[in-house]
Amino acid sequence: MTATLTPAGVPKSPVPKSEAPKSRRRGGYRRAALPWLFLAPGLLLALVFKFVPMGKGLWLSLFEVRPFLGDKWVGLDNYTRVLTDHRFLDAINNTLILGIGQAAGAILVGFVLALLLEGQTRSLKFLRTAVFLPVVTATAVVGEMWRLLYYPTSDGFLNSVLGVVGLGPVPFLDNPDTALWSVMAMGVWIGAPYNMVIILAGLAGVDRTLYEAAAMDGVSLWQRLRHVTLPAIRPALAIVVTLAVIRSLRVFTEVYVLTGGGPAGSTEVWMTRAYTLGFTRNDIGGASAASALLLAVTLLLTVTVYRLRTRGEARR
Amino acid sequence: MAQRQRRGRRTAATLAATALVFSAAACGSGSDTADSGDPNTLEVWTRSNPDAAATYERVFAAFTKKTGIKVDFQPIVNFDQQLQSRASIKDLPDVMINDSGSLGSYQRQGLLKPIDPDAIAGHEQIDGETWGTARGLDGRTYGIPYSRQAMTLMVRKDWRERVGLPQPRTWQDLLTLAKAFATRDPDGNGKNDTYGMVVPGSAQNGYAAWWAATFLWQGGASLVEPDPDNAGKYRAVADSEAAVRTVSWLKDNLFCGAKNLVQPSALTSTTGNATNFQDGTAGMYLTGPYNIATFDATPGKDKYEVVQAPAGPDGATALAEGENIYFGAKTGKAEQEKALAEFLITPGAQQLAMTGENQPVVRIPVNTTLDAAKVRDDGRWATVQKAYRDASKQFPAALDFAPIRQDTADSLNAVFTYCGSDVRAGLQELNETLTGDLKDQDLIS
Repeated sequence: MTATLTPAGVPKSPVPKSEAPKSRRRGGYRRAALPWLFLAPGLLLALVFKFVPMGKGLWLSLFEVRPFLGDKWVGLDNYTRVLTDHRFLDAINNTLILGIGQAAGAILVGFVLALLLEGQTRSLKFLRTAVFLPVVTATAVVGEMWRLLYYPTSDGFLNSVLGVVGLGPVPFLDNPDTALWSVMAMGVWIGAPYNMVIILAGLAGVDRTLYEAAAMDGVSLWQRLRHVTLPAIRPALAIVVTLAVIRSLRVFTEVYVLTGGGPAGSTEVWMTRAYTLGFTRNDIGGASAASALLLAVTLLLTVTVYRLRTRGEARR
Repeated sequence: MAQRQRRGRRTAATLAATALVFSAAACGSGSDTADSGDPNTLEVWTRSNPDAAATYERVFAAFTKKTGIKVDFQPIVNFDQQLQSRASIKDLPDVMINDSGSLGSYQRQGLLKPIDPDAIAGHEQIDGETWGTARGLDGRTYGIPYSRQAMTLMVRKDWRERVGLPQPRTWQDLLTLAKAFATRDPDGNGKNDTYGMVVPGSAQNGYAAWWAATFLWQGGASLVEPDPDNAGKYRAVADSEAAVRTVSWLKDNLFCGAKNLVQPSALTSTTGNATNFQDGTAGMYLTGPYNIATFDATPGKDKYEVVQAPAGPDGATALAEGENIYFGAKTGKAEQEKALAEFLITPGAQQLAMTGENQPVVRIPVNTTLDAAKVRDDGRWATVQKAYRDASKQFPAALDFAPIRQDTADSLNAVFTYCGSDVRAGLQELNETLTGDLKDQDLIS
């Protein structure tokens, strides 16, 4: 990451070290410097607001943070403490269940939505916009809305719907057995349209003649999906998987607004635990260590997905 | 046409770039906007929303008029986060008015200046017990009490009269009334849609512990207490017989007993989203008197009453809390800070902060020459004042209580959630966790 940041690469870039006339060489420098010049504001902002705080966070994870008295070096103590805290381990477990379920659900629903809503007619455009709305709405607002939908008595919206078919009322968020699944359902609702858009872009690039050929061969819908559509949108799917996994692992707002991690810690996830450590218990060092661990896991996962993808492509 | 468009775009780009440069510059200078160099201006922080801030504005204006010392007033909602970032640049606000329970945490972080109570003019008008809640672990005083309150029970009077029951005086009364509210259609709408009482029982920010504290005190239980054998040390006592009895009573009766005694989302509710009392779907709410103004609007002043928290087996002691005036460490404006604090505890200033159309920032005055009910001409405040002065207990303020409150809330929330759980085992586990928290603060002998 830092490699893209340091303009150190600039003078070395593709200027030939030949005995070209001086003026041309200077022109080359200038040409090479130009993109960096345009990138500078963005890079500067990223450096100040992203990478420096990130580095600072990693650094703080090695200290007992006492802003006023001065930080105290504790080495890897924060990491040991976080990793031996059973509530943190429970939170990791919940995060994995929630993350995998939410990512898989959102991709599946996104894929189905994309297949249903692909096309050029005006009504489809309208529908796509409508379906995309959850993504552009603030998560906190969506959370408050779903808290109302999930209201655990027969007055709640979902429960009144269930009541019509003679079911419920279901406690949704207020029972440790159903709370995590309820949070997951909302996560899928928020994430699916986002995935849909990326998959739609992938679908637009599928060679139409393949569909025609498939139709002439008389293949079933399933065969067409399996052998034409899916292989064609592989790159789009890879992006969707990577983004969905990252988004699911760092889930915070949904849980914080819906359940606050409860009941009985059944929806406590990685980031809500880190938040509690940092801001309720005032243990900034511990919270930094927890966040650093999440960063490491996310990096690892991203690299793995990328490797799998490139290897898959090489094999083809 | 095309040229004009291009020019427009260029202007936009220039504007954007300028905005970026300026916003970056603004970020850089954020810390010294407060005239921190001017000895005659105090930077004062309070944790308040805009409504309460309006009350503070009036109080500080009166102070400036009287003394000529200017106040740079910053009402801040996420107080502790902001304070941490100011602490990290070693430039604290001169005066802070915030929770009395934060004293231990702030003192531990070295954020506070010690105070000599005797040197504060008017100190004798604050009673000794209240001063005692502002002492740190080293026995020195680190805050000046400003406002206090105790939890009281809000009851829907119209509902209570409809079901024909008296004001609750004991836990048993509370339970009977809750059952009546849950089952006897007190709002008369013909539907079974009312609940006994509102409980903000989420573990988030420690709410469950806040709510349950009054019951624990009344049941004779505590969470941590000074170690009788070692001065200055503490011990965890969350697994005492009294605690097991109290928590079992709450669990068996309110959460796992008859249905609808508490609102259905109690275990994921914070004070922010537990609105059933305002919404007219729950009949009781054990909460702080800051809600009186809210409840006067809905459900309406004539519809509810304020009563002392019903007594448990060990008395009617309710959870007390409040705000202190703190002086930031190393600010170099000791005289001006002292002048402000002395002003804030005078009867005049306390009265100013208790009245007006905005939210009052002094609930029960620390100044004992004042009577809350008389100042407000509202008998309900007599109940609150009586609850505070006669029978109330704060969380121990000298130690950093936030982790203890959070762990207690986690544990209680779990016990109330799992009706089949073993209360004694749950509290024993909590006690071990609390012992660990005390150890982290070097408070175990």
